[in-house]
Amino acid sequence: MRGVDRAASDPVSDASAPGSVPVLAMRGICKRFGATRALEDVSLELRRGEVHALVGENGAGKSTLIKVMTGVYPPDEGEVLVDGEPVSLRSAADAQRLGIAAIYQEPLIFPDLSVAENIFIGHQDQGPVVRWRQMCADAEAILARLDVHIDPRIPASGLPVATQQAIEIAKAISLDVRVLIMDEPTAALSAHEVERLFRQVRQLRDAGVAVLFISHRLDEVFEIADRVSVFRDGHHVSTDGRDDVTRPRLIAAMVGRQMSDFYARHDHHAEKVILRVRDLGRTGKFAGVSFDLQRGEVLGLAGLVGAGRTDIALALFGVAPAETGTIELDGKPVTIATPRQALDHGIAYLSEDRRHVGLSLPQSVTANITLPSLRRYVSRLGLVNGAAERSAAERFRRQLSIRTAGLSQPVGLLSGGNQQKTMLAKWLNTEPAVLILDEPTRGIDVGAKADVHRIIDELARSGMAIVLISSDLPEVLAVSDRVLVMREGEQTGVFDRSEATQERVMTAAVGVA
Amino acid sequence: MTTADVAGLRGTRSRPGRTAVWIRPERVKELSLLGVIFVALLVFSFLVDDYFSGRFFNRVTTSVAITAVLAVAQTLVIVTRNIDLSVGSIVGVTAYLTGQFASSNPSASPAVAIAIAVGLGALLGAINGVIVAYGRVPAIITTLGTLAIYRSWLISHGEGKTITADSLPSWVVDLPTRTAFSIGGLDIRVVFAVVVVIVVVFQVAMQRLRWGRRLYAIGSNPEAAAQAGLPTRRLVLGAFIACGALSGFAGFLFLSRFGNITVVAGQGLELDSVAAAVVGGVSVLGGSGTLVGAFLGAVLIDVLDQSLVRVPQVSEFWRNAILGALILAAVIADVVIGRRFRRRWSAEARPHTKVGDGSTDTPTEAPVLTGATPRGESGDA
Repeated sequence: MRGVDRAASDPVSDASAPGSVPVLAMRGICKRFGATRALEDVSLELRRGEVHALVGENGAGKSTLIKVMTGVYPPDEGEVLVDGEPVSLRSAADAQRLGIAAIYQEPLIFPDLSVAENIFIGHQDQGPVVRWRQMCADAEAILARLDVHIDPRIPASGLPVATQQAIEIAKAISLDVRVLIMDEPTAALSAHEVERLFRQVRQLRDAGVAVLFISHRLDEVFEIADRVSVFRDGHHVSTDGRDDVTRPRLIAAMVGRQMSDFYARHDHHAEKVILRVRDLGRTGKFAGVSFDLQRGEVLGLAGLVGAGRTDIALALFGVAPAETGTIELDGKPVTIATPRQALDHGIAYLSEDRRHVGLSLPQSVTANITLPSLRRYVSRLGLVNGAAERSAAERFRRQLSIRTAGLSQPVGLLSGGNQQKTMLAKWLNTEPAVLILDEPTRGIDVGAKADVHRIIDELARSGMAIVLISSDLPEVLAVSDRVLVMREGEQTGVFDRSEATQERVMTAAVGVA
Repeated sequence: MTTADVAGLRGTRSRPGRTAVWIRPERVKELSLLGVIFVALLVFSFLVDDYFSGRFFNRVTTSVAITAVLAVAQTLVIVTRNIDLSVGSIVGVTAYLTGQFASSNPSASPAVAIAIAVGLGALLGAINGVIVAYGRVPAIITTLGTLAIYRSWLISHGEGKTITADSLPSWVVDLPTRTAFSIGGLDIRVVFAVVVVIVVVFQVAMQRLRWGRRLYAIGSNPEAAAQAGLPTRRLVLGAFIACGALSGFAGFLFLSRFGNITVVAGQGLELDSVAAAVVGGVSVLGGSGTLVGAFLGAVLIDVLDQSLVRVPQVSEFWRNAILGALILAAVIADVVIGRRFRRRWSAEARPHTKVGDGSTDTPTEAPVLTGATPRGESGDA
C-alpha cells in the first residue's frame, strides 16, 4: 500500500516526485459576486502528506477559496480535481464524501451534545442505532492520539477553544480526511496549545493528509509549512518551498509593496501617572497585581492564555470587579463596579471577542460606533440625533481607514480587520483616558495590523494611556514601552522596553527555571 | 487510495477508564422534577384532607394524558430550535373530524379511527414542516398562521355544529374509564398506560436512534449541522410530522375523553404543551431536554393544578397566579442548577496542560451565540 511506503520516506519529496497526482487541484477557478471578483483564474495544487500554508491580506480570496473547496460555492469557471478526476462539489456532504474537511477559527461544535457525539454525529454509514459505549471508546482513543485527555461523555459547551479544535480535528480524522483546511487555527490558542496543534498537524501530514494551513502569523508558517502560497486580490501570486522564500519576500508578495517595518516605533518620555493599581485580586483569577500606568505610555500585558490578563482588564472595566486591592485614577481612589462606572472614569476596554462581545453584528457601523456614548447624541426630548451620529462615525471612518460599503452597512458583513477598527472607533468615541486593548490584531491581515499599531502609537503620543494585551510576543515587544508578564494569575515580571527580550518575557510567562 | 494511514491515527480502542461518577445532565433534571413532584404531594397532603385517594390519582392521570402527549410532540419540535403553536388547532381538527367519522361509521374498527386521527395530524404537521424547513419561514410565525388557518377551517367546516357524545360509538366514549390493570388499589387506566408507553418509546428513540440525536444536533447548532452534512430540512420536516401525528393522537384522546366536541375544541392546548416542556427542562433555544422531562413537567403542572383546586382557601383567581408562579420557579431553579453543573464540568474538562483558570479563553457557552452569528462574508478572505 502506498501509504505504508510513504511513512518510511520523506513525504515531501515523494509527493513532488514527477507523475504523482495531487490529491486536490484547482484549475482556473473564477468566482464573482456581482462586481466583486473574489477569485480570478486561481490554480492551486495540494499534495498528499504536505502542510501547505496559504497567506494573504484581507480580501485576497482565501475564504472564498475554502468555500469553493468545501462545496459551499460552485465556481463560475474552472474545475476542481480530486486525484486527477474532475469533481462537482455541490454541498458540504459532497466534500465530506471526498475527504475534504475544513476547520475554522471559531470551532463549529454542538454545545449540548457530548464530545463523542460531536465527533461522530455526521457519519452517514453507522446505522440507525447509536452505540454509545463504542462511540465513546472510539472518541477517547482518537483524542488521546491528539494528546487531548477528556471524558467524551461531557457536553462540548464551555470547553476551551483548543479542545474544541481538537474535537474538530478528531471529527476529520474519523471521516478519513484527505484534505484538511485549517483557517487561522492558532488565533485563539496559547503558545503551549499552538505547539500541541503543530504536533497534531505533523501527525496528520505524516499520515498522508494534505493540510492547507491559513495563517497571518508568518512565524508559525515558517515553522509548520512545507510549501507557502501567497494570494493577493483574488489571484494566486506565488508558491514556494518553505526554505526557498523569506519573510520579507512573502510580505512583499502579499501586499504588493515592500514593507520594511510593520511595527510602529515611538519613544516615550516619563509623564504623570494616571492609573495606579495596588494588590489587585479576584479569587480564582488573579492576585497581587500592582502597576503604574503613565499618560502616553503603552503597557503590554504578556503571558499565556489563561494567565489572567483579560481578567485584570475585566476588573478595571467593571465587568468582573476586583475583590481586593485598590485602583487610583489621577491620584484619587475609585471603585469600579460596573462598565458604566469605568466609562465615566475614562476607562475603555476593547474585547478580544469582537463577534460576540465587542460588536452588535446585525447593526450598522454607525450604530456600533455611537452605542456606549449615545447620551451625547440624544436631544432633550430623548430622540437620537442621527446626523450627529453619522458625522461622528464618518470622522472615525476616515481616521481609522475603515473600509465599508457604507456607514449603514451591518458590521457583520465587514472583514475582520475592519470590524476591529469599528470596535476601536466605538471606544475611542468615549474619549477615554485609559484604553485597554485585548488582542486587537488577532485574526486580521498584515495591512490592518500595521494600521492598528500606527493608531496605538498616535494615541499614545496624544497622551492616552494604553494597556495592550496580546499573545503575539513580537507585537508586544515592539509596541510597548513596558511589558508586564502574568503567569497563572500572578505577576511574574515587569520589563522596560530596553531590557525586554522574547526569551525573558517567555521565561516569566512560563515559569521555567 | 488507501485510507489506512489516517485510520492509524484513530488510536487503539480500549475500555475507557472513568474517573468521577457520571450522571447525565438530563437525568439530574428528571430526578429533580420527581423530587419536586414528591415534595408538592407531601405539602398538599397537609393542606388537604383525604388527599391521597384513588379518585385523585385517576383525575390526574386522566387529565395529564392529553397534555403529556402534546408535551412529547412539542418537545420533538422545540429540540430542533423550532416551535409548533398549532398543536391546539390540530387537536381540535382531528378530534372533530374523527368524531364525525366515528359517528357516521359506528361499526368501523377502532384502529381505523385512530389511524385517521394520527394520519390527519401528520398531514397537518407536514404542512407546518414544509413551510418551516423548505420555505424557511420561522416556525413561530408559520405555526401561528396555521393555528389560525386550521381553526378557521374547522369553524367553517363545522358550521357551528357540535359532535355529541351520544352520537359516538360506545367504545370511544368508554375508553377513558377502561382500566388496564391495578396496582394495590390504584387503577391504571388504559389511556394512561398507552401514554406512558408512548413517552418511553419516544424517549428511547431520541436517546438511542441516530435520527433523534440529529434532531438535538440541529437545535444545538444549526450551522454546524449543515456543515456536518446532516439533511437538516428533512429532519425538521420529520420532527413536525411526528409532532402533528402525536397531536392527532391527542385529538383522538380528546374526543374520547370529552365526547362533546365543539369547533373551539383544543384551544389553548399549545400553551399547555410549551409550559409542560419548559418546566420539564426542555430549552426553548433547542438542543437539550428530554421527553421524560417533558412528561414529568406535564405531571407536575397537573398535580399542582388539581391540588390547588382542592385547597379551600385558594380562590380560582389565585389558583392561576400561583400556578404561573410555580412554573416560573421551576424554570428559574433549572437555570441556576444547570449553570452550576456546567461550570463544574468545564472545570473538570480542562486538560491538565492548561495554565491558569482558563477564564480568559474565548467564551463558547450559550448555544444561541454559536449558531446565530453570521458567517459568510464576515471572515477574513
